[in-house]
Amino acid sequence: MANYFNTLPLREKLNQLGVCEFMDNSEFSDGVNALKGKKLVIVGCGAQGLNQGLNLRDSGLDVSYALRKEAIDGKRDSWKNATENNFTVGTYEELIPNADVVINLTPDKQHTAVVNAVMPLMKQGATLSYSHGFNIVEEGMQIRKDITVIMVAPKCPGSEVRAEYCRGFGVPTLIAVHPENDPAGKGLAEAKAYCVGTGGHRAGVLLSSFVAEVKSDLMGEQTILCGLLQTGSILSFDKMIEKGIDAGYASKLVQYGVEVITEALKHGGVSGMMDRLSNVAKVKAFEVSEELKDIMRPLFQKHQDDIMSGEFSRTMMEDWANGDKNLLKWRAETGETAFEKTPAGDVKIGEQEYFDNYLLMVAFVRAGVELAFETMVEAGIKPESAYYESLHETPLIANTIARKKLFEMNRVISDTAEYGCYLFDQACKPLLTDFMKKVDTDLVGKNFNEGKDGSVDNITLVNINEKLRSHQVEIVGARLRKAMTAMKAIKTA
Amino acid sequence: MTHSNMNNSKPKSLSGDLGPIVHVSNLNLQYQYKLVLKNLNWTINRGENWLLGGISGSGKSSLAKVIAGLQNAVGEVEFNFNIDSALPAKVLFVESWYQFKNVEGVANFYYQQRYTSLQAKETLTVGAELISYSKENNLEFAEVEKLLKALNFSSLRNSQLLELSSGEHKKLQLIKALWLKPQLLIIDQPYTGLDKDSRKTLNSLLDEICADGVQLILICNDTELPASINCFAEIREGQLVQVESREMISTAPERTSRELPDFLKQSPVYSSENIVKMIDVSISYGEKMVLRNINWEVKAGEKWLLQGPNGSGKSTLLSLVNGDHPQSYANNFYLFGNKRGSGESIWDIKQHTGIISPEFHWYFDASSTVWQSVASGLFDSVGLFRQLPFSQKAKVDELIEFFDLTENKDDLLSSLPLGKQRLVLLARTIIKNPELLILDEPCQGLDQQQTQYFNQLVDELCNNGMTLIYVGHFESALPSCLEKRIVLENGEVKAIESIAESCLV
Ligand SMILES: NC(=O)c1ccc[n+]([C@@H]2O[C@H](COP(=O)([O-])OP(=O)(O)OC[C@H]3O[C@@H](n4cnc5c(N)ncnc54)[C@H](OP(=O)(O)O)[C@@H]3O)[C@@H](O)[C@H]2O)c1
Repeated sequence: MANYFNTLPLREKLNQLGVCEFMDNSEFSDGVNALKGKKLVIVGCGAQGLNQGLNLRDSGLDVSYALRKEAIDGKRDSWKNATENNFTVGTYEELIPNADVVINLTPDKQHTAVVNAVMPLMKQGATLSYSHGFNIVEEGMQIRKDITVIMVAPKCPGSEVRAEYCRGFGVPTLIAVHPENDPAGKGLAEAKAYCVGTGGHRAGVLLSSFVAEVKSDLMGEQTILCGLLQTGSILSFDKMIEKGIDAGYASKLVQYGVEVITEALKHGGVSGMMDRLSNVAKVKAFEVSEELKDIMRPLFQKHQDDIMSGEFSRTMMEDWANGDKNLLKWRAETGETAFEKTPAGDVKIGEQEYFDNYLLMVAFVRAGVELAFETMVEAGIKPESAYYESLHETPLIANTIARKKLFEMNRVISDTAEYGCYLFDQACKPLLTDFMKKVDTDLVGKNFNEGKDGSVDNITLVNINEKLRSHQVEIVGARLRKAMTAMKAIKTA
Repeated sequence: MTHSNMNNSKPKSLSGDLGPIVHVSNLNLQYQYKLVLKNLNWTINRGENWLLGGISGSGKSSLAKVIAGLQNAVGEVEFNFNIDSALPAKVLFVESWYQFKNVEGVANFYYQQRYTSLQAKETLTVGAELISYSKENNLEFAEVEKLLKALNFSSLRNSQLLELSSGEHKKLQLIKALWLKPQLLIIDQPYTGLDKDSRKTLNSLLDEICADGVQLILICNDTELPASINCFAEIREGQLVQVESREMISTAPERTSRELPDFLKQSPVYSSENIVKMIDVSISYGEKMVLRNINWEVKAGEKWLLQGPNGSGKSTLLSLVNGDHPQSYANNFYLFGNKRGSGESIWDIKQHTGIISPEFHWYFDASSTVWQSVASGLFDSVGLFRQLPFSQKAKVDELIEFFDLTENKDDLLSSLPLGKQRLVLLARTIIKNPELLILDEPCQGLDQQQTQYFNQLVDELCNNGMTLIYVGHFESALPSCLEKRIVLENGEVKAIESIAESCLV
């Protein structure tokens, strides 16, 4: 199978990358009607599968689960989760032929096998849905022409998809229709209804395309969301140990610091985060992040280029074929880092202290968010998509680090994200060697403001504030946050 | 004697001649603009066990937290533990609301989660929790067996923390405290959520540990107390005032009654005569059956009392009625005339119903203001996520005024005393004038007077023909409109009967 994106002429590439529209509430006034009375069959009952299914059923839709035979016979967790919550469970042969909509929520790596098994059983004119477009875009999976192909991708882990629905809300969601597979023109109506069924319409929906979703999702997760948070955390911890800061303190500062710092992003974007610093600290963080942006820009561009050309997925699929050799090796290495192995100390760190004593992470986050956003936009991705895949998701991922460090983050994210994260981390650390030599404990481990009189040059500060606030990620972000009704802090802690 | 700060002598720290166990001097505490404790002094001498009562919001829990070191305040708290005693030289505070954590150390739960069957276990089991507690505090495991048995808790050993009801959580906290036997034990609202027998048992267990040398501070306004309680006090204007007996503790002023807002006088529009109809409904988790063959019908306008001991399945039954239970779909069960799973959404169901329960309260959005909490009732969401049109805003204001909450409308819900929080949730629940009102132990944690006031309101509200399902343990503390009763035991219906007026008083 050929990479779908690479088969497109440039005009069409740009066209599909550029699909991005924030949908108005009124677009969802038809509720779940387009799917009412239809048979929805979910393949796979994991994190997304179970939670999306619970929501769809609670929204009045008819949901059942098709699991592979081994899972049913072995009464695996996926089988138990579905049956104990009173869903009908059956084999592909039993359920797929009657399905109006088949929802593929198996791991991305399995999609080719699953779709090949399921497609021959699907009835004429049915719909196939994904929550991520990798299989269609990067693997170039060809779907029978009578089948409609849609995507409904919640931008949150499955447990949040359920928790927010139950609270009467939802999580931001991307929807798309594959232009090669919309024979009856019903794709968009069904995707919208599906999105209402999971509660996504209450939290903001972006109409996207398979191509735009995949290319931006891959870029975001590899660079700012997972890659840079990992690199920044490890380097910060090692620096503190090198400089004699108490290991327990260092471990706690790094583990919880990213979460506290990025929490500020949710409410006020990058400038909101920078505003948590004193004026002197802000000036310093700005300068450091400018330097970081210069150093890391080529790496961000390389990742974006490899994603666009398909080089990234080609090498990753090679690793799949190779029994995940690299993935497993890198995963083991991450588990062995000093940061991972040092438990957080029993010390109290105040909320503001996380900013004042961890200026380096503030600088990393600003540099990473802006770079990822800029690089995506330069590559033809619309600012709205770029915002979701950079700034918006950063606090959600940071939360997983707070729970159980990098191992937990890499466990929760998809295999694709994990692979990309390590790839970035491997390249980024050497790139920062010289930079890190200059870093001292005023940037990480001790209060930057200590021993400083706090005065700054007026003009410098005004210029910095202006630069921060006029960045496109801030302008788009402010608009989107407002549009997401009262963008409620997604509750994770 | 009025003030207890007569004893100004410094505590003596020699172990032979033991001074007071706690000496609190010149304590001051302020929340934003509100002065809670003002130069408060308190001495707790050996052999004294205190009841701290009085009106809600007077600062009782804050004082307890300061003594326990969980809250900062200006002033001094000096301890004088007996170092020769076998009992741990420490103070333990048992909070009225206990937040448990999941295995990853976070407490991000939502109300419906406990009903969903999940293979990946989110929280520890009771047994595992107790084992880790015994390790942490060097306690003999054999000791706890007796407590588990006395409080009827042994069967919950394999339950996950998430599955416990609020009453069961309370018991677990009490069991830990009774097991630890700290030299000073402070319990905020020891009896909330406990049934009659458990309360009696608790009192005798508390007497036993007092005999072993534990000193108690109980914070509540209950009347049946352990015999060991021998000192009584309340906080008036930020100061501790000792009184002769429990009866002399002040009670809240009577509420002036107000006219019900017009929109609540209108009878709800019923879409069906049948509100609830259950035919052989059963619910189980794996092997464990929590409801067995329930047959029950509730007709429009009926007022039901639902009773049963802790763990008999009451809240599971109500979660079905409220559309929150995932196992509804495989049962033969009708709500508002429609079979469950026939295409209605849970939001359709919730539009007809309003619910309050201790668990719902527990998981409610702590970052909502009073106004937002009430307004969120219009959308059945936990917290407010949208803008309201003018007419709805006016309704929210009107209801808040009716409940005497106008001065608190911008306060965080979680910052109010429990009694007021309950009123806010009641307001939230009735703002859409629902057909069915479900009140699951709405007065848990409220004192007698608050309870009376709350139930009066319920009577007034239900006058318009609203259907009511009310869960309450005590016959003496129920609204008077109730006419029928369903009793559960071990997940089965033990009785369905009508209530004669007389037995309610
Ligand atoms: N996790 C996220 O945060 C997130 C967010 C948005 C979108 N997504 C997307 O959602 C989809 C599902 O992800 P997930 O995280 O929910 O995955 P997951 O938790 O790993 O669940 C996968 C499910 O698929 C089943 N499965 C595994 N291999 C299979 C095979 N070869 N054939 C059939 N079934 C198989 C598994 O059950 P058995 O092994 O028992 O058969 C399991 O129930 C992916 O496309 C992902 O990109 C995920």
